[in-house]
Amino acid sequence: MYGGGYIFDEPDKKLSAQEQLHDDPEKLTRFEEKIQAGEKIEPGDWMPSEYRRQLIRLIEQHAHSEVIGALPEGTWITRAPGFKRKMALIAKVQDEIGHGQLLYNAAETLGKSRESMINDLLTGKSKYSNVFNYPAETWADVTVIGFLIDAAAIINQLANARGSYGPYCRALERICYEESFHLKQGQEAFASLAAGTHSQQAMLQDALNRWWPPIMQFFGPPDKISAHSGKLMQWKVKMASNDDMRNQFLDTYVPKVWELAMTLPDPLLKKNESSGRWDYTEPDWDQFFRVIQGEGPCNKERLDVRRWVESHGRWVRLALMKAGQRKSMPMA
Amino acid sequence: MPSFDPRIERLHISDNSKEELLSHGENWNIYEVFHQEKRGARHEHVGGVHAPNPEMALVFAKEQFGRRKRCVNIWVVNSADILAFSEQDEDMFAANLGKTYRDASGFRVMDKINRIRSQKKEE
Amino acid sequence: MLREALAELITKMADDELILGHRNSAWTGLGPILEEDIAFSSMAQDKIGHALALYTLLRELSGIKDMDHFAFGRQADQFKCCHLVEYPNGEYDFSLMRHFLFDAAETLRYESLEDSSFEPLRQLSRKFRGELKYHMLHGNTWVIQLGHGDEESHARMQGALDACFPLAFGIFEQGNREAFLIDQQVYPGERVLQERWLEKIYPVLVKASLNMPAPDLNPGTPGGRQGKHTVYFAPLLEEMSEVFRMDPETAW
Repeated sequence: MYGGGYIFDEPDKKLSAQEQLHDDPEKLTRFEEKIQAGEKIEPGDWMPSEYRRQLIRLIEQHAHSEVIGALPEGTWITRAPGFKRKMALIAKVQDEIGHGQLLYNAAETLGKSRESMINDLLTGKSKYSNVFNYPAETWADVTVIGFLIDAAAIINQLANARGSYGPYCRALERICYEESFHLKQGQEAFASLAAGTHSQQAMLQDALNRWWPPIMQFFGPPDKISAHSGKLMQWKVKMASNDDMRNQFLDTYVPKVWELAMTLPDPLLKKNESSGRWDYTEPDWDQFFRVIQGEGPCNKERLDVRRWVESHGRWVRLALMKAGQRKSMPMA
Repeated sequence: MPSFDPRIERLHISDNSKEELLSHGENWNIYEVFHQEKRGARHEHVGGVHAPNPEMALVFAKEQFGRRKRCVNIWVVNSADILAFSEQDEDMFAANLGKTYRDASGFRVMDKINRIRSQKKEE
Repeated sequence: MLREALAELITKMADDELILGHRNSAWTGLGPILEEDIAFSSMAQDKIGHALALYTLLRELSGIKDMDHFAFGRQADQFKCCHLVEYPNGEYDFSLMRHFLFDAAETLRYESLEDSSFEPLRQLSRKFRGELKYHMLHGNTWVIQLGHGDEESHARMQGALDACFPLAFGIFEQGNREAFLIDQQVYPGERVLQERWLEKIYPVLVKASLNMPAPDLNPGTPGGRQGKHTVYFAPLLEEMSEVFRMDPETAW
């Protein structure tokens, strides 16, 4: 899974402007030509410091989102009903940890260690996808997450897979392949409830009503209030606009939800035949930013759990650490 | 607020859990992983694992890179042991396509055959 | 007569694997390092898969309704798992040591079934051989490396061994139809497996510089095979079957 098109950024623009002053203009031109020509940038290549910084941020946040994303769905691992759902859910959550592993490795090729990325997550300095700050209250929540949030993540991942940075593209190729299993599994579990007893349908509808607002916020704020996308798109770091991806998501998946006789809690939600795009109630972006900053129902729990994990696993890691071992970065 | 996850409830996470940060090297070293899909195929680089030594790296690589799809073997190598050219050295390879003396395209037989035929015609 | 004896053997094997797989799956997302989180989770899935295969065999043998009902719908005293697998996960040292001890026993059990007079069990043991090989590799590697790691990891692994070892003898608790199973050459019996198990784990523990507690002083905690469980089992079962029991007759 992933954090939508929104790359949470520090308001530290002054520093990056200074860094950019030192970027060799000739190298920069050649770099940009390479990207225009569709060539990939690899770990050892020269790159503008802002490119490096933004990519680390993007990939790192994606990695954190996978590892944190494992928690709401992991909520129901010990209670999954029946063998098929149990094994599929464990495999799926395992995949998310696996994706985190692949993504941290990709980010490490840019020069930031995994330890320091994990530390930034634990201190709250680095963010993860906001959608995971909400609780999975029932089994039905697992199916909503597994179907619709994975669907949204796939749209994002497919777009980013065409980006300019080699290691990230390669990680995404593997991730996209595994996501196709997640989506199918999620959709099937969702449909199973939708086609089930009145009780199951009610549980599903309730879950859908609660998750729809965060899902609508998944791709981040509308383009008109999103800052600084231009350079990122030129450098093929950001591959699609938030609004375009949101629209693509609605186009593909709202009909699938309606087809299963489930409703969505937005009276304005419909495809506008004249514009060809979807109309909907504008999400509450102030609330979105407040949740990012820590006010969501599960922010504290998510980080508390990761802190517990790191602290209780410390003895294992320290036991096998060798003093003076040659520390290296991933090759690719 | 109690967690919705009974596993998390059982962890008894205290409210004032101290923030212990990871120290440098705590996630060990990187081992690059090469994966062989089937007998006869080449080993392909698929990514890396963090591990304290080669034995553990192999144990990890098997599940991270070999739990799905076909796989018959895996290699792991410490990333620091891999020697590679840098981006600036790409120019060393740039003349490759022009070296027709190394390529089948550099050797034409047809024009000689044609010359023999036209010689024979003249005779 | 043979049918009941086979059902007894298969039920306890399947229940062990289901409950341990269930326990181990709870580490998914919470492991000490990402790579190990992934590896441990795979093995938990394998165990649950083994349980499913065994319950499927049971359905053919004794006509149980279906595997989901059998696994998620039984009462506690109908389960025949040993006490070792019921215990909460504790810290990673306990879970790792339990995995090492149990998987060594499981590997030997399946190896012995490769010569079983009951063909379906021969087939399953051949099928699971590769997976179990990895489980052993994983368990041995960790026990040896942490046994040698540093003072803390050594102390933790010794403590975990001291705690798990007596419980592990419950794996080999003999059932009511033990003599008949041996006589019919279904498998060599719990006593033989226990001997082989002690021989198998001993060299690994030596390599790990860990002291194996004296077997004779620890008769283990019997009762699991008779449906008598620890205080941990009822809450485990309640949690595992929570959603299923909301409506056991519907599809999920």
